[in-house]
Amino acid sequence: MKTNFKKNIDEKNIDEKNIDEKNIDELESGHNLTQKEFEEYIAKSGAKGSFMVYRSNKKDDELGLDEL
Amino acid sequence: MSTKLSSKDLQNSIEEVMKKKQYENFNQWVTNFSLNLPNIWNDESANVLNPKINTSFEKENNSAIVIGRGPSINKFEHLKLLAESNYQGNIICCDGKLADTLNAGVTPDKFSKFYVVTIDPYPGIIKHYEHEIIKSYGSKIKGMFTVLTDSKAVEKARQTGIKIHWLHSLFDYNEGIKSFNNLSAIMIRAKNSEHKLPAIQTGGNVGTAAWFTAWQILKCSTVALIGINHGWEESDSWETIIHHNNKAEISEVVDRDSKVFKKLYKKIYNPDFNCNCILDPLFQFYSEALKEFIERSPEKLTTINATEGGSIFGNRIKSMKFNDFLKEYN
Repeated sequence: MKTNFKKNIDEKNIDEKNIDEKNIDELESGHNLTQKEFEEYIAKSGAKGSFMVYRSNKKDDELGLDEL
Repeated sequence: MSTKLSSKDLQNSIEEVMKKKQYENFNQWVTNFSLNLPNIWNDESANVLNPKINTSFEKENNSAIVIGRGPSINKFEHLKLLAESNYQGNIICCDGKLADTLNAGVTPDKFSKFYVVTIDPYPGIIKHYEHEIIKSYGSKIKGMFTVLTDSKAVEKARQTGIKIHWLHSLFDYNEGIKSFNNLSAIMIRAKNSEHKLPAIQTGGNVGTAAWFTAWQILKCSTVALIGINHGWEESDSWETIIHHNNKAEISEVVDRDSKVFKKLYKKIYNPDFNCNCILDPLFQFYSEALKEFIERSPEKLTTINATEGGSIFGNRIKSMKFNDFLKEYN
């Protein structure tokens, strides 16, 4: 799965049009959140979101069930 | 010790953190369900909205527009464009944008296939149904509500005339017969074994849930998104961004000059609309999930991002201006 996280570029520092995927990876390596940072944010900010993402070993079930 | 994670690991870890946070309210969900159960027994399943089951629903024009409350919907006056159009497909409104949508002239009088979706299990959701204008159109709006919705919010919606159709929000069905998803389904079927509800992936928020209802329940083959930015505009104030536009509940906890701040409030470039977008931590969570599910959706489904901004772009996502969508799908 391709994700935005590879493409998340600080526009102040990087001209996106002139970099390739490898360079993005290198430049991004220090820009991603860590689990601890995210967890601390959730714990301290009060942010809770709306609900959770459902995950299952049956991957098709993750897209929903016609009836239950 | 902090550890650097790959993109996939990061998404997994964010989901785990959010899951743990959500479970703090598990008792409230069970209470909500208990209070809703007598109504669930009597109300209809959201499956009656499935055109394959209810043949009274038009099978042509099976496109839908999902309306969220992301910042670009006002910036580009998408509701005005829609109100002035002759769009014949389905309108699926996120609860938080319902009043604005009606006020803009996008009403079930003009757009007869009009739905509203609620998935949040929190009491605060009631505010979305307290606007006076909803009473004027409620009887023509079909509501899709999860069985975990706060019962007072459901009652408020019902008082406006909205017809409630129930669905499950999947969260623990993978845990087997003792899962709450399964137990609640058994209780719902206790009086009528055929009273089965669709069970949807919410993706953690109502916008993603509304996209799922469009193709999973309404069986639409084309789903357009407006106001589904899952991110902020650069022109939005830091006050809005940091508090996720909800200062009453979300506090500023990180120094704006710190390195962590730049990670938490990440700026990305949207190549489809040639604009930048800022993702707060919640939008990082929502955005990755929606994009993943769009990529995994059936090939026969076309997802069009007509938001004209935001973080939803990539595989299987067709981006176009909303005005162009309306010309093509009118």
